[in-house]
Amino acid sequence: MSDRILGVLLALFAGWYSWEARSYTIDFGDPMGPALFPEALAVPIGLLGLYLALRPDPDPDWSTGRYLLSQIFTIVVLIVYALMLQPAGFVLATIVMVACLTAMLGARPEKALAGGVATSLGFFALFDWILGISLPPGFFFGG
Amino acid sequence: MDILSSLANGFAVAVQPVNLLVAFIGCFVGTVIGALPGVGPVNGIAILIPLAFSLDLSPVSALILLTSVYYGSMFGGRIASILLNIPGDASSVVTCIDGFPMAKQGRAADALAISALSSFAGGTLATLGLTVLAPTLAMAAIHFGPREYFALYVMAIVIVGGIASGNPAKTLIAGLIGLAIGTVGIDPATGIPRFTFGAYELYEGIDFVIVAIGLFAISEFLFYIEQRRTGPVEQIPVGRRTAALSRLTYPATSLRSGLLGFVVGVLPGSGATLASFLGYALEKRVVDKKGTFGKGDPRGVAAPEAADNAAAGGALVPMLTLGVPGSGTTAIMLGMLVTLNVQPGPLLFEQQPDIVWGLVAALYLSNVILLILNIPLVGIFAKLLSVPPHYLMPGVVTVSFLGVYSVNQNSFDLLLMVGFGVFGYLLRKLSIPLVPVILGIILGTPMEQSLRRALAASGGDLWTLVESPLALCLHAITGCVVLVAILREGRRRAEQAAAARST
Repeated sequence: MSDRILGVLLALFAGWYSWEARSYTIDFGDPMGPALFPEALAVPIGLLGLYLALRPDPDPDWSTGRYLLSQIFTIVVLIVYALMLQPAGFVLATIVMVACLTAMLGARPEKALAGGVATSLGFFALFDWILGISLPPGFFFGG
Repeated sequence: MDILSSLANGFAVAVQPVNLLVAFIGCFVGTVIGALPGVGPVNGIAILIPLAFSLDLSPVSALILLTSVYYGSMFGGRIASILLNIPGDASSVVTCIDGFPMAKQGRAADALAISALSSFAGGTLATLGLTVLAPTLAMAAIHFGPREYFALYVMAIVIVGGIASGNPAKTLIAGLIGLAIGTVGIDPATGIPRFTFGAYELYEGIDFVIVAIGLFAISEFLFYIEQRRTGPVEQIPVGRRTAALSRLTYPATSLRSGLLGFVVGVLPGSGATLASFLGYALEKRVVDKKGTFGKGDPRGVAAPEAADNAAAGGALVPMLTLGVPGSGTTAIMLGMLVTLNVQPGPLLFEQQPDIVWGLVAALYLSNVILLILNIPLVGIFAKLLSVPPHYLMPGVVTVSFLGVYSVNQNSFDLLLMVGFGVFGYLLRKLSIPLVPVILGIILGTPMEQSLRRALAASGGDLWTLVESPLALCLHAITGCVVLVAILREGRRRAEQAAAARST
C-alpha cells in the first residue's frame, strides 16, 4: 500500500514537473534549451511511479505510538530551532534544543538541561573561539 | 621518473604542518564519527565539509581532511562491529561475522589490531595502485568528449546507486529524483531560473551539503528514535591482546583481498561495501579448510578489512581522473571539489599537480597515522561508545546544524535541511536508496551540460549519443547491468511467491 501511494505521488509529480518545465523556453542558446532535461526526466519518473503502483513491495514497518510522537516532536523542535537560531542566538537556542531532545530520549530533566548546557557551551567554544566561525549571538548578547 | 618526482612533490605538500594537523584531526574525528553505530563515512564527511569551507582551507587541505575522515570513519565503524555486533556502516557488516565471535572469545583487542593492520595493508596497496594507475588513466581520459561523459554519468548514476542490490526500480527512481532536485536553480547555459518559484535562495540551486547532511544525519536521528524499542545493547570489555602484533598481520590474506578490493573500488558502482563482501567470500573459498570462518577466524576479519580500505583508495581513481565518482563517499568528495572550483579530470593532473599528488601522499600518511593512533588508543575509543546515546545523538544534530549554518548563515538552509531529513527518513523507510539521490544532485548539472553540448555539436541529432564507440560501449554496459538487475529482481519475486505458496 505504501508503495502504491508512493507510485501515484511520483506519477503526479512527474506530470507537474513536466508541465512546469514546458514554460522554460528560450530563443537563443543551444538547440534543446533548458526544458529538455526536466521533460526527459519526467517520463521515466512517471513510468517507474506507475510500475511501483502496480507492483508494490511489501509495506515497511511504519512508526507508531509514542515513537511516532517522538519523531514528530523532534521535527517540531528542529524547525523551531532553525527559526530561532538567529534571533535567540546560538547558545540559548542550542541549550533549549538539546535539552528537549535529550529529555525526549529518556534522560531526567535536570540531566537533560545539564547536557544541553554542556553541549551548547562546548560547541560554542569549539566553533566560535577555537575555529573562528562566528555564531549568532542573539538578542541576549546584543546581536 | 616523472611519477616519482611528482610524488616527492606531493609529500612535500603533505607534510606541511597544516596538512599534517588536518590529517591527524581527520583521522581522529573520523574514527569517533565512524564508531557511532549507524553513522558511517558518508555522514562523517558530509558533516565536516562545511567545516572545510568555513576554515578557508585550501583545496589540498580540504581533500586531505576528507580522505582522512573517510579512512578514519571506516576504522571507527569496525569498533562498533567488533565490540557491539552493530555495524558502524554498510562496509563494516562483514567484519561483524568473525569479529564479534572473536570478541566474545575474549580476543576483542586482537580483532581490533587485525583490523587496523589489514586496513593499513589494503590502504597502502590502494595508494600504490593509485600512484601508478592514475596518470595513465588521466591520459586516456583525453578521449572523453561530451558524448562519452554523458554516457559515463548515466552509468555512474545507474550503477553506483547500487542497482546491484534491492529493487532496481527504486534505485532508478532515486537517481532520477536526485537529477530532478539538481535541476533547481539557474540554468548555467541560458541563465533562466528553473523551479525556484521566486525564492532567491534557490537561485544557486540546492546545495548538496544541505541535502547530504539532511538526508543522512538528520534522518539517522529519526531512525534512531524508532530503533530504541529494541532496547539497550550489551557491551563487551576490551582486554589486552593475546598475540604479538607481528603474528596478527596475515600478509597473504591482506594481499589477496587488497588487490581484489582495489580493482573493485576502481570500477564505478562498486565501493567499499561490495569489496568487503567479495574479499570475505574469496578468502573463505581459498583458505577456509576447516570451516572456521564465521566462528572467529582472524582471517575473516583481515580479509574484508584489507578489501574495503583498498576499495576506498581505488574509488578515488575514477573520481580524480575522470571526475566520475566510484562510490557514494567519493561522490560527496567530488561535490566538495567542484564547489572549491577544482575540476577533476585529466586537466587536474596537468594544471594542479600539487593537489593530486598532495592528496596521494596524504593517503599514505593517513594510513600511517591511523595505524599509530589506533592500536594504542583503541581502549579510549571503546569507552567513547559508552557515552549514553541520549547525549551523543543530540550532539550529532547540533553539529549538523552548525555545519549547514556555517555555509550561508541563513535559516532557510536549516529548514531545508530538516525537510531533507524527513524526506530521507521516508525514502529509507520505503527502501529507496539514498546514495543515488545524492549522486543525481551532484552529477545532474554536468550530465545535463554534456548532453546539451553533445546535441549542440550535432545540431540536435539525438543519434550522436551512440555514434562514438566509447560512448556506445558505456551505454551498453549500463544497459546490461540494468537488464541483469531486472532479471534478478524478477527471479527474486518469483522465488518469494513460490515460497509464500508452499507454506
